[in-house]
Amino acid sequence: MDDLTSAASSRWRRYAPGIPGAIALLVLFIGPMLFMLVFSFWETDLDFNLVPNWNVDNYLRFFTVPTYLRTLAKTLVMASAVTLAGLAVALPFTYFLVRYVSRRWQRLILLAVIVPFWTSYLLRVYAWQAILGERGALNQVLMFLGIIDQPSRLFVYNDVGVFVVLLYVYFPFAALALYASLEKFDFGQLHAAQDLGARPDQAFRHILLPQIRAGIITACIFIFIPILGEFLTPTVVGGVQGTLIANLVVNFFRGAQIAEGAALGIVIALFVTALLVVFRKYLRLEDVVTRG
Amino acid sequence: MDQTTQGSNLTRRRFLQATAGVAGVAAFGGIAAACSPGAGSSAGASAGASTGASAGAATGTFNWMTWSDHYYDEQLAAIAGTGIKSSITELSDNADGYTKVKEVGGQLDMISGDALWVPKYYEDGLIEAWDINELAVSKHLYSIAREFDFWNSGEGYLGFPFGWSPVQLYYDPAHVTATPDSWDVLLDPKYKGHVVVENQPVEVIAYMAKLGGAKDPYSMTADELATAKGLLERLKPNLLKLTNQATETVTSLVNGEAWLATGNLGTEERVKEAGGPELKLFSPKEGTVGWMDAEMFVKGGKNNSLLRPYLELAEQPEYIAENFIKYGRPLFNEGAYKLLVDKGMQERADRYLFNKPETVLTMTLKGPGSSTQDAIDTFNEVFGA
Repeated sequence: MDDLTSAASSRWRRYAPGIPGAIALLVLFIGPMLFMLVFSFWETDLDFNLVPNWNVDNYLRFFTVPTYLRTLAKTLVMASAVTLAGLAVALPFTYFLVRYVSRRWQRLILLAVIVPFWTSYLLRVYAWQAILGERGALNQVLMFLGIIDQPSRLFVYNDVGVFVVLLYVYFPFAALALYASLEKFDFGQLHAAQDLGARPDQAFRHILLPQIRAGIITACIFIFIPILGEFLTPTVVGGVQGTLIANLVVNFFRGAQIAEGAALGIVIALFVTALLVVFRKYLRLEDVVTRG
Repeated sequence: MDQTTQGSNLTRRRFLQATAGVAGVAAFGGIAAACSPGAGSSAGASAGASTGASAGAATGTFNWMTWSDHYYDEQLAAIAGTGIKSSITELSDNADGYTKVKEVGGQLDMISGDALWVPKYYEDGLIEAWDINELAVSKHLYSIAREFDFWNSGEGYLGFPFGWSPVQLYYDPAHVTATPDSWDVLLDPKYKGHVVVENQPVEVIAYMAKLGGAKDPYSMTADELATAKGLLERLKPNLLKLTNQATETVTSLVNGEAWLATGNLGTEERVKEAGGPELKLFSPKEGTVGWMDAEMFVKGGKNNSLLRPYLELAEQPEYIAENFIKYGRPLFNEGAYKLLVDKGMQERADRYLFNKPETVLTMTLKGPGSSTQDAIDTFNEVFGA
């Protein structure tokens, strides 16, 4: 009996620290998601009431109206492109930073990477509108340099603008995740590999990349998943051409069509969950906590 | 060793107790905050609803969901000096406000709404009808503003009338050389990528419905909706962007990226003042939609004793005239019009039809319709990838 009590007490002590987090998760995340899930099977009547008339029409709409599938596909392509570009920019940047820059300067440069977070996301996106716009700074510079004769619309109100701004917005996440991984890497291993006959690219692929895998996957998660829910950047700099899937969700909610919006939101949430399951196969939690 | 273990256990237990306590307090606090009826009204404010203008006694904070042009900072600061403060939530759309009031009820005290949305709120038991003439400040309103049939329930008036405007089409004559008179100009391929409209799906569809000859642009038949969709598909390549607010439209017109735009009365003035081109405007021959809004008292609002005293102060002609100068569209306040005339601004006020509030009766008024969901679906289908 004492053993049982002691075991129960031991289990309680082990799990108790997780209770506040579990409550927060339940109240702030799982609960609302369950509401959304239920609403997604209801319908909105002409008086904008949510009516518990259970059906799957809202999901059928998503899978039968080509626009929604096309827009989701486009969103996935955009998220993939920004993720790859983010890694392509952040990896050399952090590699250089960790390997060739003194600790003191590393801190200053990392601070510079983080500084944009001190201003509002909305302000940063609007600032880019001023940079990329027809009469924006970029066009002025290009015209001053004689590269173009007239202001170009190539940079804004299209997918190019959305790509550039999303890359800017999410670069710090990738840089910080990769920095944390690279900082712990022993660069002597690259020398050792090359001493043993490996080419630099082989040493990079077989020695460095596997050891910063957690950082790379964390960076991918931090960039790819939030972009699936991005609506502000496409609205401000994407114009009519830059619409992503979240913009269509917002239209439903603004029009008080909650059931329809909820269904679309759930589809995105399921997609994100599936991606996290895939990522989880390649990433242990300890990797994120201790390395990434 | 034993003592150490005990001490360690004690510390851990205390830590756990403290953690659980903090989490409990935080969770309770969060839930309580989410459910709290007001943003902190005084005892005076939470007293029963007052009748008449008892500005002297009431102090506190009331919750107001409204558009950003219904107030300005200096006005709110001056009124706050009397003890009446407002906690404002931005209103994006009528449907948004309507569903919000349905969800939170008396946690909101006042909400702004347009035209035929106002009786909809009342029919659904969301707002109070009251005697508008009990407010001294209502004598500054045009008489027509106190007598709109659709805002009169029989038991009282449904809101305090504020502003109005038909949606007009603005164009830069430097680029749009013909003299357009129809919504059709928005579809002209010559203006590809130079048209801007506000990001309000139901309204944009309504514009196309007007062009397509729909009887009621908010309650369309399937055929009317199909026609509107066809027109929307032709509009899409011409659109530069869908703006989130009127100021964005003004910016696009000022910097020249937009040549054509929809807007409220007074947009051309705001563009000119911001250094933009001289715009021309017209009201489409097919007719246009328009808005006229009012401040409604939410039924069961916990701080509604502050609303009448607030309106007595906020709707004074001086404030409304200043609001007109800042945001430039007609309002229902005749006292403010007279003040503008006295200040030598009659020409501007008349140009904005400030002296012709009866114009609202010629517009297709914004209101809830039976084709909202189909309109949003159509909009998404056209503007998705």
